[in-house]
Amino acid sequence: MATISFDLVSPENLIFNDDVGTIIVPGKDGDLGVLPGHSQVMSSLRPGRVMVYSEDKNLVKSFFVSGGFAEINPEKCIVLAESVVELNSLDKSSIEKEIEELGSKESKESEEQLLIAKAKLEAITVSFYDKI
Amino acid sequence: MPSLKDIKTQINSVGSTKKITSAMKMVAASKLRRSQEKAEAARPYSSRLEEMLSSLASSAASGEGIIKLLTGTGNDQNYIVVPVSADRGLCGGFNSSINRETFKLVKSLEGNGKKVQLMPVGKKSRDFFNRVMKDQIIESFVDLNVSSTGYESALNISNKLQELYFEGKFDKCILVFNKFKSAISQEVTQQQLIPLDVSNSEKEEEKENSSNAIYDYEPDEETILKDLLPKNVSIQIFKVLLESDAGEQGARMAAMDNATRNAGEMIDSLTLKYNRTRQAFITKELIEIISGAESI
Repeated sequence: MATISFDLVSPENLIFNDDVGTIIVPGKDGDLGVLPGHSQVMSSLRPGRVMVYSEDKNLVKSFFVSGGFAEINPEKCIVLAESVVELNSLDKSSIEKEIEELGSKESKESEEQLLIAKAKLEAITVSFYDKI
Repeated sequence: MPSLKDIKTQINSVGSTKKITSAMKMVAASKLRRSQEKAEAARPYSSRLEEMLSSLASSAASGEGIIKLLTGTGNDQNYIVVPVSADRGLCGGFNSSINRETFKLVKSLEGNGKKVQLMPVGKKSRDFFNRVMKDQIIESFVDLNVSSTGYESALNISNKLQELYFEGKFDKCILVFNKFKSAISQEVTQQQLIPLDVSNSEKEEEKENSSNAIYDYEPDEETILKDLLPKNVSIQIFKVLLESDAGEQGARMAAMDNATRNAGEMIDSLTLKYNRTRQAFITKELIEIISGAESI
């Protein structure tokens, strides 16, 4: 079975770079499952999970991204994300606290952060895509 | 003629200065390596973003709202100039060359009848322009510490700039910063940030592959462009901050290396002077003793 090269890039560094089997990225209009030979797509992303699977469909790594872009062509998938955290390094109680704090503020900026924090909470509570 | 003790104190004080400058050199050298690594690590993101942008740029003929970051306001009357300097001195001509260049740019723009505002980044340029053009400063950013705070610091600047831009406060934004050429040389560079200058990158892409432009866009080109443009402003600023940071460390390293060498030379010549004076003193005493003995 073929592989596709996957780059996960944040402004500060290159976070992931390897050949993988499947990637799921959170596109703005819905999740995109990327397999080798995918057609050329450029998409912006919503806050959500980026899941990376090996050739035999085992979950290798999962990340949370706060938004960004994905560029996909048959051999390569590149995700440019503004902030990237590994999913299992997130802590549920601290996010809940953050949501509470942000909820009390009223500005455009904190609203945006609140959306991201909520997406973060959702990302660690849901378990679909753990197995494909 | 200074006494022996005077010379000795002078040697000691130059010696301790030398110790400080050589320590600063070491610190700068290790910081330089870190800054360079950071700048290197940021490169894949910004080059990718630029590629995406240039393939999309053609689709935005004219527009309102965010697209104005690309197409401009159609005016060029109001300028905002952003000089990027360091927060600290003792790095040779690093800060003063930024200030001088910015000053020249502002004067020449004003000579052409434009209105110019300033948004200095870094203590050294803020202090300078606070003295000479206080009423033109619209905002300043200091203590950024880009190597430790990272992307956040660039976001603040970029948000402020975009806020001002969409309020119609300015039409063009120019960055003045030290481009990192090598560890010992920096080049003062001007870069137009808003509206975005895509002409260079576009040409390069055409050369590389003209067939690569058949992408499906999701949701659509305009939406992506609207997301991409503000990010691009931030990432350009981030890149400039990192370059400037690396340049600062390089400049400081070179300046401190020079200072250490000068201190060494000074110590050598002072030591020579010390020995000569001591010798002259001994000779004088000997002559006195001998002539005293002779007279008996």
